Amino acid sequence: MIELRNITKIYNPGDLTETCLFKNFNFTVNDREFVSIVGSNGSGKTSLLNIICGSIPVEGGSIVLSGEDITKKPEHKRYANIGRVYQNPAMGTCANMTVLENMSLADNKGKFFGLSFGVNRRRADFYRTLLEQLGLGLEDKLNVKVGSLSGGQRQAMALLMTTMTPIEFLILDEHTAALDPKTAEIIMELTDKIVRQNNITTMMVTHNLRYAVEYGDRLVMMHAGQTIIDKWGNEKRQTSIDDIMTVFNRISVECGN
Amino acid sequence: MEILTTMDVFLQSGLVFSLIAMGYYISYTILDFPDLTVEGTFLTGAVVYGIMVENGINAWLGLLAAFLSGCFFGAITGILHVKCRIRPLLCGILVSTALISINLVLVGAGLMGSWMGDSISSINFGREALTLGKVFPFNLIPAKIEGIGVRNLVIFLVIVVFFQLMIDIFLKTKRGMLLFASGDNDRFVTTLSLDAGNNKILGLAIGNGYAAVAGVLYTLISGNVNQGMGIGTIVIGLASLIIGLSVFNRVTFLKPTSKVILGAVIYQMCLTIAQKLGVPSAYNKLIMAIIFTIALIVGQRMKRQKHGGKGKSGL
Repeated sequence: MIELRNITKIYNPGDLTETCLFKNFNFTVNDREFVSIVGSNGSGKTSLLNIICGSIPVEGGSIVLSGEDITKKPEHKRYANIGRVYQNPAMGTCANMTVLENMSLADNKGKFFGLSFGVNRRRADFYRTLLEQLGLGLEDKLNVKVGSLSGGQRQAMALLMTTMTPIEFLILDEHTAALDPKTAEIIMELTDKIVRQNNITTMMVTHNLRYAVEYGDRLVMMHAGQTIIDKWGNEKRQTSIDDIMTVFNRISVECGN
Repeated sequence: MEILTTMDVFLQSGLVFSLIAMGYYISYTILDFPDLTVEGTFLTGAVVYGIMVENGINAWLGLLAAFLSGCFFGAITGILHVKCRIRPLLCGILVSTALISINLVLVGAGLMGSWMGDSISSINFGREALTLGKVFPFNLIPAKIEGIGVRNLVIFLVIVVFFQLMIDIFLKTKRGMLLFASGDNDRFVTTLSLDAGNNKILGLAIGNGYAAVAGVLYTLISGNVNQGMGIGTIVIGLASLIIGLSVFNRVTFLKPTSKVILGAVIYQMCLTIAQKLGVPSAYNKLIMAIIFTIALIVGQRMKRQKHGGKGKSGL
């Protein structure tokens, strides 16, 4: 369970450009829930994810993960049971290393990085079967540098690598935004499959309203640091893109866009 | 004969400075950290080694101690950057400035027992000092055959190849791959639930350890340790690295470390040829800078061709 309790987040505190994004913000994600989050730019979607992962500090409140208060935990330690895929496909992999090396590194997450050989050839077949599932032909490219792969292939790898080791939470930060519609579709289906198979609690930020409606079991719309739509179960199933679009347009008008 | 003695000169210095260049391969190429500490740790290595040898301690132990002292000060640069968030260039300037004093004090304390640092500033190896050339197995090799410093060449070659293998093997280990990843994409390392900063500290420690070993080997050429010998090592190291990586850019069968060693030799060759052509020694550093500039420009061109205009600018 992810709980945000009374979160206050102020950007540039004490400066002329000081902006308060969250004030006593509360948000809870239940175990095994797949939440899709939509909202306009600056509504606090990505900040929300950054706060959970510890990429940015908070000015007040606490972040509780599975009952443990992690507000003061450094970012890298939080990733022990959080997986994260970024919008930019380059962020989730190492461009100058081969597919095999990338997979080996990801496979070793949570274990000790010592002086034993980094690439375990015996695991290569296992990686190949994992890559085969993607249907992108990556299984024949184990010794190719990741930098020469396409954005879609890299993003698929990033997703696969994040979920290779057991994690409880998956954070998806507009992870299909930089991809073409066809590839985005493949990645989205793959995401859904992985999340369902492994029962991972997932938070997905997206600008694609259709994905938000079609995938996940809860739909949240954020605006100015608050949740203005929060639909679950049946209520969510009955929500159409048009419903969301209406609210979206209303907010935009209020903001003068 | 003339050509052989000339070759002897640039091969020796090329091998010595290839160690700095290999260190830069870790700190500069892999971690993208322009490390200025090297100028200080090069000398620290020589000083530590000189003191130990002068006090009758085995030269191999002296070499090890020099390496570790280099690692120590490199780690301090890394800690200043990672933990105190000081810019890379400033970290290097801070530590190498501090090392000027530390090296002076070390010499005084190690040879005279004076911690004031004002009694003595250089170490001249006495005849009885058991330097690397006088310990097993190198004492079995004649110092010179027909005017060529065979013994030094063998010593340098053995040590350089050893340290090259160390890097090559290390980069294949889990920790080595992680170090590489920390330079390539530190966000990725963070999401592996690891602190990329620690790997940067490790990389800088290794880089400066290598510089310290280069300092030790340099004493075999110069025959002494003096406080001025570190000057210019940054340019030599970086130029060797960049020449090696850009000249052999398209050669796939050579490991990067081998390219870097060849680069160091080529650089020293250019310098030696310039001297042989009668350029006065006052122009040495100017020529060094000019060759480096040419290497940078040529390197940029080749990189652009390779990546088709994309990718990081700057070497």
